[in-house]
Amino acid sequence: MKMADMPTIPRGSATGRRSKVSADLPRPIRPGAGAAYAETIQPDPRWIARRRWARAGIIYTLLLACSLLFVGPLLFALLSSLKDNPSEWPPRLDPPQLNPANWAAAWQLGRQGGGNGWFGQFAPGRSVSFEVRYLVPPGAAAVPPQVQVPRRVPGAGAGAVRLGPFAADVAEVSPPQEVSRQPLARGTVVTYRFRIRNAGTVAVDRLPLDVSVPAGQVFQGATLWPSRQERQGRVQSWNNVTAGLIPYVFNNYVRVFRENYSRSTGQNLFLAWIRNSFLLATVRVLTTLVFAAMAGYALARLRFPGRNAVFFTLLFSMMIPSQVLFISNYLVLRDGIWGLAQIWGQQTLLNSFTGYLLSSVVTASGVFIMKQFFESLPASLEEAARIDGAGYIQVFTRVILPLARPALGALTILTFQGTWNEFFWPLVVLTAPQDRFTLTVGLLSFRRTYGVAFDWGPLLAGAIISALPVIILYLVFQRYFVEGISFTGTKG
Amino acid sequence: MRIRRTQRAAEGVAGYLFLLPFLLWLLIFFAYAFVRSVYFSFTDYNLFQPPVWTGLANYLALFREPLFLTALRNSLAFALVVTPAQTLLAFLLALVLNQKLRGILAFRSAYYMPSVTSSIVITLIFIWLYQRQGAINYLLTLGRAYGHLVLAGLALLVLFQLAQVLLERRRGLPAGWTDPVLGLSSLFLAVGAVAALVAAGVLPLARPADPVSIIWLNTTDRFPQGPISAPIPLIAIMLMNIWTTAPTFMLLYLAGLQDVPRELYEAAAVDGAKPWQQVVHITWPQLRPVTFLVLTLGLIGTLQMFDQVAIIGDQAPLQSTITLAYYVYHNAFPPGAIPRLGMASAAAVVLAVLTLCVVWLQRRVLRY
Repeated sequence: MKMADMPTIPRGSATGRRSKVSADLPRPIRPGAGAAYAETIQPDPRWIARRRWARAGIIYTLLLACSLLFVGPLLFALLSSLKDNPSEWPPRLDPPQLNPANWAAAWQLGRQGGGNGWFGQFAPGRSVSFEVRYLVPPGAAAVPPQVQVPRRVPGAGAGAVRLGPFAADVAEVSPPQEVSRQPLARGTVVTYRFRIRNAGTVAVDRLPLDVSVPAGQVFQGATLWPSRQERQGRVQSWNNVTAGLIPYVFNNYVRVFRENYSRSTGQNLFLAWIRNSFLLATVRVLTTLVFAAMAGYALARLRFPGRNAVFFTLLFSMMIPSQVLFISNYLVLRDGIWGLAQIWGQQTLLNSFTGYLLSSVVTASGVFIMKQFFESLPASLEEAARIDGAGYIQVFTRVILPLARPALGALTILTFQGTWNEFFWPLVVLTAPQDRFTLTVGLLSFRRTYGVAFDWGPLLAGAIISALPVIILYLVFQRYFVEGISFTGTKG
Repeated sequence: MRIRRTQRAAEGVAGYLFLLPFLLWLLIFFAYAFVRSVYFSFTDYNLFQPPVWTGLANYLALFREPLFLTALRNSLAFALVVTPAQTLLAFLLALVLNQKLRGILAFRSAYYMPSVTSSIVITLIFIWLYQRQGAINYLLTLGRAYGHLVLAGLALLVLFQLAQVLLERRRGLPAGWTDPVLGLSSLFLAVGAVAALVAAGVLPLARPADPVSIIWLNTTDRFPQGPISAPIPLIAIMLMNIWTTAPTFMLLYLAGLQDVPRELYEAAAVDGAKPWQQVVHITWPQLRPVTFLVLTLGLIGTLQMFDQVAIIGDQAPLQSTITLAYYVYHNAFPPGAIPRLGMASAAAVVLAVLTLCVVWLQRRVLRY
């Protein structure tokens, strides 16, 4: 099935109206028909064309509205994953992280702190110049703000476990100097400048900042827009002034990678999960391709006793929920497949990639797809090869496999997506240690570490990162996705 | 004769050689597992002591256990609500997408996005959306504040459309009730009229209202109140699932739409059938086999719903979200308790029987 040439059928109304009009053809055309004519006249082509255009416009609007429904939540999550507080109320669609002025400021501040523009830091001996602007109401006296570098952890949950040096220990803040005054009708906008210097001997990756003013003065702006404002706007708070561009815009993404380390091995957990998911998906794709193609070929083309019984069992297995099978499969892996795993020195196959891969070395639906595909191939080609004296294996590798490319493509995509997204079986089999998780199980542990503290930023960032590979794969290989669905869908 | 026989034997050997890896997998991880699960369901087994045969005791105990009955009820409610809803939505989406318009493929890709994304990603995002101060409650708040404008706009839209169509017909032009050009101009008129009413102070811009703060997940409440109701967290999962699975089935409907003979529509158009009549009398009946397939796959899928319950976890009370599939897991690996593999297996067998009933029903219906 080619989705590229979509059917043109129910163009309902347009077709319908046109044929109705042509049925009216014998009637005389009455140009300039006024209100006096009650019966139907032949509309001119422009009248009809206008209706076609309007109809297309309405359909596009409808399509756009539906897109908003289906992509909206994902896009909104993507947008909010950049925010300092993704749960802000009311939710805004213009986080400061998307403002180019803030990008430039983050770049500059990152360089001033001794890092490069992309990734900043706060290095010994470096000092950062920072400006804040406040509106002082008429009659009130302008009081310079109080500036403080707080001892603050990057966030809740895993972010609260911080061992490294704190900027508060090394930072020296110069007293804020007034640099300009701009009178307005509502009051005076006063700009203050201060410098923060690293007087210590260690570089710090984060420089948090709190600036507070007396009640009445209204925050107008700063070199970098604050991460949050507290106490009715009297305190402006920055998570990291010298972040540099990438940690500023993708703060939650950086946190996902920086905050999650294995307690036993010190390995970066999130990277490990991504690697595990890629590894398992890749190996599983390879084994599934080989074994499903072999089995599918045998079931489709070769005749041997018991073939129907095997096929019936295959169909039956596709209907049985995995919850029925997992208890026994769990025990089989626990015992190392009746001790067979001891051959290569494993007592148990639980929490082992070998175990996971052995238990999902091929899928019933994969075999089914390949069988259906091989049955749709003409038999003449392999018969010719057989007459030329080729053996079964030769026919399979030289003739059949090259022809099976579309089905193998669909199977590759389906298996990769299936493994990448798989949740239940990894949850049962890969439970410890944490760096043995797949990305899906890892994200579940994120819900426990961050979700409890309502620290939604890293959770959303992790979710988006884990969704990206499959979405990219989908956008590139759409055709295979669609074919895969129609293959499995029509199993009936 | 001899040669033929050896050839057939060779083919048999080759067949089994090709089949060997799959057959081993099928025997160990399906056939053996299935038989063993059925066996466990008749035993008392806790992983540590060998299983003890107890006959039907597990099944009898199951149907007396409140948690299992809740799981069964939840699973059935989930399947019976989600399946028809996602089928209908998939059908409507396929109708909308089945147009020969520029860029329609981009729209199809967009709609399919939720279906390629993993359950954990979708569920995490939805847990966040379902927070008390989350986007869903915010949208409801907006609806409460500005809903009257939308309603007024819709009413005016209908009025303007009526007036314009009648006017056009008086001029003798064959305008239908859903004439797109008049529809667009009615829409603009309605928007303008609402804006004018707001400016004139007849309609308030926003009605003062408290923010909506529905607790979607962490609640034991049910909706609607009455004999037929479902736990609110389960409803939240239902909405989410309809949203994720409808695009998958939309693809099946789109594929099915290609096989509907175009002559049927042409004939109907000649007979003067309206577009909606064509949908009701041609498209829907012609797609009956697809609908059966979608319903069956939908029922099987919804009966096995597990991931969402596990991911939401302690964000919602267990009895408000538990399904059969989760009940099985919960009994096999109970947090801080001894595994009850006999009960888990019995519940799994009940789940399997339900699934097989659905498949059997589909076969029966399709035969007619």
